[in-house]
Amino acid sequence: MQDLLDTLYNTFIVDDRWKFLTTGLGNTLLITFFSLLMGMVLGFIVAIVRATYDKTGKLKILNFLFKIYLTVIRGTPVVVQLLIIYFVVFGSVNIDKLFVAVLAFGLNSGAYVAEIVRSGIMSIEKGQFEAGSSLGFSYAQTMIYIILPQAFKNVLPALANEAIVLLKETSVAGYIAVNDLTKGGDYIRSVTYQAFLPLICVAIIYLIMVMIMTWLVTKLERRLAKNDKG
Amino acid sequence: MKLKKLISVMAACMLSAAVFTGCGESVPENTVHSLDDLPGKTIGVQLGTTGDIFATDIEGATVERYNKGADAVQALKQGKVDAVLIDNEPAKVFVSNNEELMILDEPFAVEEYAIAIKKGNDELTEKINTALGELKNDGTLDNIRKNWIGDEAGNYPYTSPEGTDRSNGTLVMATNPEFPPYESMSGDAVVGFDADMMQAVCDRMGMELIIESMSFDSIITAVDSGKADVGVAGMTVTPERQENVNFSDSYTTATQVIIVRK
Repeated sequence: MQDLLDTLYNTFIVDDRWKFLTTGLGNTLLITFFSLLMGMVLGFIVAIVRATYDKTGKLKILNFLFKIYLTVIRGTPVVVQLLIIYFVVFGSVNIDKLFVAVLAFGLNSGAYVAEIVRSGIMSIEKGQFEAGSSLGFSYAQTMIYIILPQAFKNVLPALANEAIVLLKETSVAGYIAVNDLTKGGDYIRSVTYQAFLPLICVAIIYLIMVMIMTWLVTKLERRLAKNDKG
Repeated sequence: MKLKKLISVMAACMLSAAVFTGCGESVPENTVHSLDDLPGKTIGVQLGTTGDIFATDIEGATVERYNKGADAVQALKQGKVDAVLIDNEPAKVFVSNNEELMILDEPFAVEEYAIAIKKGNDELTEKINTALGELKNDGTLDNIRKNWIGDEAGNYPYTSPEGTDRSNGTLVMATNPEFPPYESMSGDAVVGFDADMMQAVCDRMGMELIIESMSFDSIITAVDSGKADVGVAGMTVTPERQENVNFSDSYTTATQVIIVRK
């Protein structure tokens, strides 16, 4: 018992080491939130352009560019992308590392969100588009008022999954010396040489965050399902 | 339709332009000329090294902890940090590979490197100390040092004596081969001062040496949890580490130095 208390004291209290976990948690949340936001915006734009091309054959060049984006981003590991953005793209600029992390994870997430949303749009039957046109809606109006709301509901579980993956993926931000949650745990591990507590503690914090996210999404899903019953 | 094409092309051009504006800008002037300049600066270190411990104690300095010493040096070159704290011998290797960097003429801490052994395994500690003592007395250790460090590097390669008995089992050594000249990768083998020294120690003890590579901050945990028998990675003896592992007698000394841009 005394041993455990000693380790606890050593791991969290000495030199205010718990602060590494709290600042780390803050940074992890910050990176996740903004890259999620960026990924969603980017993903929806790419998905709409790609679906429009699939359905109408318009926006050929944009579709081609976005296809390259999807291939490159989905074809390379996120750690490598992060390092490329930090050491190559912003090679000689002293740029805020949090910004680099948001950019890297946002770009990465955008590619996955795009394909998720596109699959949602493609899953809406053709009749819905025709119904839109027969009501006198333009293509854009049909998309915004009829297709996207239904598609969004269909892909919500997949999007939630992507958000959870993104949250956990940010744990590699430590490669560019960002003090995220994982790095905070690593730092404590590197000064106390105790693996158990810092790792378990970091794991539990991630788990709690994911559980909260899952709970929020379930609530949103239920809320959206209510509309169906009318 | 033509307009849309034009817009797309313009968007693509702007995107690539934005990507490449980063390149070509100049790196900020060096602002660190001595140890006294470090407070308030951004210091790059490798996570868990003694450089990390020193940097953490500097008032008002921001410590950037990279997973590799080489990444910290890269960040220094690109102006992302103002200085890098690292052991002198790896520093020399990094600086010799990067013309725009230099080592400040001010080593600030002399440290003892030793072999980390699982806490409480006094038998192995004793055996390693005996072997180390013999290697020190017959000059083998000096030759290994000369082979890796200094002007005569490469002239004293260590080879195991012929007919060495290896009946006493295996010894697993945990190291982080990104710390030349103490350890680095050559092909898929780990080479360096530490690798040769441990080979010599194992030859004395009649054991087979197996080298496991891992990140530096995992080495002590690996030794502590029994995943490795010894940790040898240019590891400085510090009181905090001593609480968690046994240390052998010191096999060499080193200093911490500051690398800056010229």
